[in-house]
Amino acid sequence: MHKEVLSKFDQTWLPLTALVIFLVCFIAYTYWTFKKSNREFYENASLMPLDEGVKNEQ
Amino acid sequence: MSTATHSSAKGTGRLETFSYDDQIVRMFVMATIIWGVVALLLGVTVAFQLANWKLNFGLQWITFGRLRPLHTNAAIFAFCGNGIFAGVYYSHQRLLKARLFNDVLSRLHFWGWQLIIVSAALTLPLGITTGKEYAELEWPIDIAIAAVWVIFAVNFFGTLVKRRERHIYVAIWFYIATIITVAVLHIVNSLEVPVSLFKSYSLYAGVQDALVQWWYGHNAVAFFLTTPFLGMMYYFVPKAANRPVYSYRLSIIHFWSLVFIYIWAGPHHLLYTTLPEWAQTLGMIFSVALWAPSWGGMINGLMTLRGVWNKVRTEPVLKFMALALTFYGMSTFEGPLMSIKSVNAIAHFTDWVPGHVHSGTIGWNYMFIAGMLYFLVPKLWNREIYSKSLATFQFWLATVGLVLYIISMWTAGITQSLMWRAIDVNGKLVYPVFIETVVKIVPMYWVRAFGGFFVLISFIIMMYNLFMTMKAGAVSKDEVFEAYALDDSSVEKNATPHRSLEGLPMVFAILAFLAILVGSAIEIVPSILSNQYITKMDVVKPYTPLELAGRDIYIREGCYLCHSQQVRPMTHEVLRYGKHSEAAEFVYDHPFQWGSKRTGPDLARIGGKYPNMWHYRHMINPRDVTPQSIMPIYKWLVEQKIDYSSLTGKLKAMKTLGVPYSDEEINTGVAKAQEQAKAITEDLMKSGVPAQVEDKELVALISYLQRVGKDYGSAPAAPTTAEAK
Repeated sequence: MHKEVLSKFDQTWLPLTALVIFLVCFIAYTYWTFKKSNREFYENASLMPLDEGVKNEQ
Repeated sequence: MSTATHSSAKGTGRLETFSYDDQIVRMFVMATIIWGVVALLLGVTVAFQLANWKLNFGLQWITFGRLRPLHTNAAIFAFCGNGIFAGVYYSHQRLLKARLFNDVLSRLHFWGWQLIIVSAALTLPLGITTGKEYAELEWPIDIAIAAVWVIFAVNFFGTLVKRRERHIYVAIWFYIATIITVAVLHIVNSLEVPVSLFKSYSLYAGVQDALVQWWYGHNAVAFFLTTPFLGMMYYFVPKAANRPVYSYRLSIIHFWSLVFIYIWAGPHHLLYTTLPEWAQTLGMIFSVALWAPSWGGMINGLMTLRGVWNKVRTEPVLKFMALALTFYGMSTFEGPLMSIKSVNAIAHFTDWVPGHVHSGTIGWNYMFIAGMLYFLVPKLWNREIYSKSLATFQFWLATVGLVLYIISMWTAGITQSLMWRAIDVNGKLVYPVFIETVVKIVPMYWVRAFGGFFVLISFIIMMYNLFMTMKAGAVSKDEVFEAYALDDSSVEKNATPHRSLEGLPMVFAILAFLAILVGSAIEIVPSILSNQYITKMDVVKPYTPLELAGRDIYIREGCYLCHSQQVRPMTHEVLRYGKHSEAAEFVYDHPFQWGSKRTGPDLARIGGKYPNMWHYRHMINPRDVTPQSIMPIYKWLVEQKIDYSSLTGKLKAMKTLGVPYSDEEINTGVAKAQEQAKAITEDLMKSGVPAQVEDKELVALISYLQRVGKDYGSAPAAPTTAEAK
């Protein structure tokens, strides 16, 4: 039913563009995230939930 | 005490003191517990109603079709919603070293949300519904939801602005994606034209409405029941295990991949019936691709427990969270599996779907919230948990109940599907009478109901355990913390782009919005343009005024929850129901009523299949015409009068939406409706029905049912019981 409607929707460039955007973004954030120089920063970031904050005793 | 080296306490800005607003978290915790019981009680009620129709008690306000939307809304928006707000507000403040932006906004958020839930609890049993699954609430409540969501967003982003931590922890990324995406989904799917305070029609019709609805429906699961829970998982699992997440870098990949891919997968709800091959394949591939980020997150969560598995045995928090992650892994394996076309052909419209849904909502959402509550209540009420033994008992009872639920629905779903599609050597249906396929699975409905009952009891045990903990504990005065205000010294020099982004919440939010927008475009653009591609059929005419009134009764009673209106292009469906459905048939359907489940048969070709008298008897007592039917009785339809007073307004609203009613048709609508009602009544009177039914709702409903699908194709003659034998 939708089939005959949307089979005429020939703008396949739309998903293809999105796919390319996704792949480019994926490669970019994977590269930045796993850069060796970022290791220490992210290890420190991972400790954030364990930090309740410093209590003010006054 | 501070244990991290990432804190802004090392900063050079002004040292500030602050406290966390834990009272608002306590309020949401209480609401989560209370609404959790309500949601599960409703679920168990409707499960028993499916097992035994007598449990509908002949009362319209508690009949399955009215209670089922209440159950789903209570489970998703009341129980999970309050749980999300509790978890988000607790973790958000601590991860940012800042009190929530504004206490008044927090209270407005809380009370506004409870008011919405109460409105749902009042309107849905009264039959006030839009008839769109998981978006049933009428337009004034939709506006209230949008307003409260904006309050939540302002409070959330305001806290981000006044934070004392430069880096935004990954949990908050998931929260940002949730807030933005839910707002977009809710607003787009809720666009409707009001007829009165309690009635509106969807802006979209037929094909277009289906595409928008399932874009919303699928992503409501993704961005209401998944992303906020994953965010909370990244906070509470490390917290409970007292160790950092297994791989923070994996969590970043998890976030972006999940947010980007999830939004694409909606078309898997419309396989075979809707999309062209390329779109179906795309939806299927992205659904299967979801395995990677979903399992990446699940593995990241479970691996965080490395070295503390001994605690999982004894600590309720970890026990429930480990189980939640396991079920998350299982249901996110099952979902993509069901998206594969050949599997979907079997699973769609069957009980396998609610089985899958509940492995997610009970296995993932309920179990995670239970773990989170066992973490929060002792913290917020300063008391050890009342009884770990009770928590362990709850754990096993809920697990056994859930397993019973899932296995019974798998069995029922596959049984149904195989019976529906069975064709003998002569090319005829082996089970032509639909009720044969229903009777076979009723025992499974009993198993499911008892499984759900176990889950309900387990929740009540938790409620007792938590209330006893609260009773023994005490709410202390807010503790005061100190941290340095953010200043430029915490801005990292020469940071990589993504690292910089992690300290810029607003830019981050815009990029997350763009990520979901790209995927949404794949579904939204075709839906916006779809009307251009529908070849109009002259034979398809707008509903008559009486049929329109009858259709609204069909929607009010939730018929779409058990009956689909869509014949898929499959041999067994065409043999059973008639010609497969065409897009042009639905151009005047505001909203579409295709449904997603066949507890009863498809109704796409019901028009003209049976005489008026058959429908009359069927609605008063379904067993009169279909022995062993499990359908409730609808006797109030012969007691309540047709609401002619609103008919003109409804016709005008439909005209506004593009349905070609002339002014004359609108002005004479009531008279025409009464004329048609009289004709149907005269036909019924030949079989001894009293003339007084002429102005009753059942007559309007019959007029609608006799019209459904008739313009384009009629059903094959109904098989008699003798033929079936």
